[in-house]
Amino acid sequence: MQFLRLTIPLLLTAVAGLIPIIAFMWSTETRWIHATKDRLEVYMVIIAAFALLLGVVNVIQSNVKKIERRQKGWQYGAFLLAGLISMGAVGILSAARIGPFQGIGFLDDGTRTPFQYMAEYIFNPLQAAMFALLAFFMASAAFRAFRARNFEATILLVAAGIVMIGRIPLGETLLGGSPLLGEFTEWLMTWPNGAAQRGIMIGAALGAASLSLRVIVGIERSFLGIERNE
Amino acid sequence: MEWLNRLMSLDRRWIFLFIAIGTALPIIFPIGFGVTTTPPVQSLYDRIEAMDSTSVVLMSYDFGPSTSPENNPMADAVLRHCFAKGVRVIIVALFPIGGVIMADQSLDRVLPDFPDLEYGVDWIHLGYKSGGQASMKQIGEDLHNVFPVDHRTNTPLSEIPLTQEVHAYRDMELVVSVATGIIGEWWANLVNAQFGIPVAVGCTAVSAPKYYAYLLSGQMVGLLGGLKGASEYEQLLMDGYPWMAEVYGRTGLYTAIKGMDAQTIDHSIILVFILIGNIAFFGTRSRRKQG
Amino acid sequence: MDAILNLQRINALVLVFLFCTLVLSYISIARRGGSLYVRRISGLNAIDEAVGRATELGKKVLYVPGIMGLDENQTIASLALLGHVARTTAQYNTDLDVPNKDPLTFAAARETVKEAYMEAGRPDLYREEMVHYVTYDQFAYTASVSGQMVREKPATNFLIGSFYAESLLLAETGQATGAIQIAGTAEIAQLPFFVCACDYTLIGEELYAAGAYLSKEPAQLGSIKGQDITKAIVGIYIVVATIGLAFGSELLRRLLTIE
Repeated sequence: MQFLRLTIPLLLTAVAGLIPIIAFMWSTETRWIHATKDRLEVYMVIIAAFALLLGVVNVIQSNVKKIERRQKGWQYGAFLLAGLISMGAVGILSAARIGPFQGIGFLDDGTRTPFQYMAEYIFNPLQAAMFALLAFFMASAAFRAFRARNFEATILLVAAGIVMIGRIPLGETLLGGSPLLGEFTEWLMTWPNGAAQRGIMIGAALGAASLSLRVIVGIERSFLGIERNE
Repeated sequence: MEWLNRLMSLDRRWIFLFIAIGTALPIIFPIGFGVTTTPPVQSLYDRIEAMDSTSVVLMSYDFGPSTSPENNPMADAVLRHCFAKGVRVIIVALFPIGGVIMADQSLDRVLPDFPDLEYGVDWIHLGYKSGGQASMKQIGEDLHNVFPVDHRTNTPLSEIPLTQEVHAYRDMELVVSVATGIIGEWWANLVNAQFGIPVAVGCTAVSAPKYYAYLLSGQMVGLLGGLKGASEYEQLLMDGYPWMAEVYGRTGLYTAIKGMDAQTIDHSIILVFILIGNIAFFGTRSRRKQG
Repeated sequence: MDAILNLQRINALVLVFLFCTLVLSYISIARRGGSLYVRRISGLNAIDEAVGRATELGKKVLYVPGIMGLDENQTIASLALLGHVARTTAQYNTDLDVPNKDPLTFAAARETVKEAYMEAGRPDLYREEMVHYVTYDQFAYTASVSGQMVREKPATNFLIGSFYAESLLLAETGQATGAIQIAGTAEIAQLPFFVCACDYTLIGEELYAAGAYLSKEPAQLGSIKGQDITKAIVGIYIVVATIGLAFGSELLRRLLTIE
């Protein structure tokens, strides 16, 4: 049991982790190592596709259970299942070209297939609406966060104010047509912002490398559901 | 004291209401603020301007419907520029949900102004490829392997004139990724780093700050940051190609310059609210000290 | 040699070798009982308090493990933290909810939570529904989790892992419901949003160190120390290289370039 649950997964992790590193360092003349690495990437896509099936099954199971038990919010579950079944069914019928469902893009005469219609006129607007909520949430978060509570917060507030004005034509209008504020904004974004971004990037990259190493050598096992070294 | 406290904990729905009005009104009644350009945008414009009909640009539609109001204008502007300049364009989409639709819609908006362009010679649409980074790396080795046939006609790439000449990044001059999320970053830190091809990214305003690090390091040659970057590119196009003013002036066409009206008003509203918040903050603090 | 190693990347190989040596050496030192100082990370120290608050209020703890798959290091780091949070909820007898966007992350998160409940000696409290799958679409997932926050009002929200445009949507919704929020990501563009809307934020490498920090295992803590030493070396190298490059040193330029 220990062998199946621990040794095999850890060995697989180590091998799968090492191959891309070796391939990166190895000469392109050593074709087998690069071919193995490419194959691993393909396997990853295939495994992810099968895992999606696992997810879909879980969505159906958990929501059917919720509806059966009339749990709080079961109506949302019913709505979700209706969406899943209708879009999924139209997609499958379209891919198989059954009845009026001839393909998933445009028909030869340029008209939309039912699947394309659903994607363009239901899915796309819903997506855009969710992203658009960001504008409202950003405004309310800015209202709360940008208070001159202390020295650092004041610097943040001033920099944010400059960038917000500098990124819109209002800045120029306020300065009588001078591009100074815009140029200062660009300077802020390029240098102080660029430097901070790089600092965090380097730190995070080393952190990620250290975590990768822990995973490859088998010290970090939480992704297998195992916390402590056994 | 009471009113200051109420201001401090202002119901966020008031802010939402003002933002909604500030966004809707300028879209219905455009104002037409001026646009000035910044170096990261100018740099991409100049690079394409320096190309000719022998050049090939790879345009990757790496965004979906969610960010399309921000990404569409920049994708359209760069595509218009390439077509106006006679630069050949290879279109791909690496964003899984909606990338291809975004590319199709962009072509629908741009192509009518370029009736002389020939598919397969001046431009080609290769469609979507899954795998993200893996696909990007494979294009560096063999584009024909990654996209065996094109998206529009299902013809093998070896039979299409444009792709008969183009096999990998080495046959292209520039990659332009119009992106959301992490895909734009991959072009800079993976494709540019490993294959050396110049990369430019058009991204949402939210992710623009992180791209400055790549711009500084030379891993990117241009950056269109959000609607502002797109509006600058539109302005450069109208300055460089006066006939484009008619295109961008069409009623009903959503452009970044028009969108910037709403952004300007919204930024101003947010600034006013920040000011109100700080007045209330200092007011309550000084009262507390006195009390 | 050319036929085996890519000599143009020899500098990368040296750096990888140095990094591995340092990390593995410190792991070995730690295992032999050497003392290692690791600074306090307030966001991680607040986990028990945050779960305790949910217990007092009789509400659930919501754990969002980011939106990326297992090929993203931040997700792995998030799962390490999830294990700790799940053990705490098991000990406190508090309900836990883990909605997932990526199917592989979902499978791993389910194992992690199940094991954590077993390890805490409370397998009876574990329910399959605790870890569930929502959808592969970013904004549909955001809508679902936001809706859950508004309807069920969890007392504590953990937003740990790789986030993109949904970060502020989730964090602001959680803030509006009055939940105590602990966030963590290495996505630089999303960090300001979390800092604005959450009570605690793990920034960049703090997230990667979280699992090691909480496990208190010498081997894991040693790796953090090794990583810090490498960072110091990289820092010194950047300064030296900047000065050298300013004086036109071709050698330093070549050492910094990875083909």
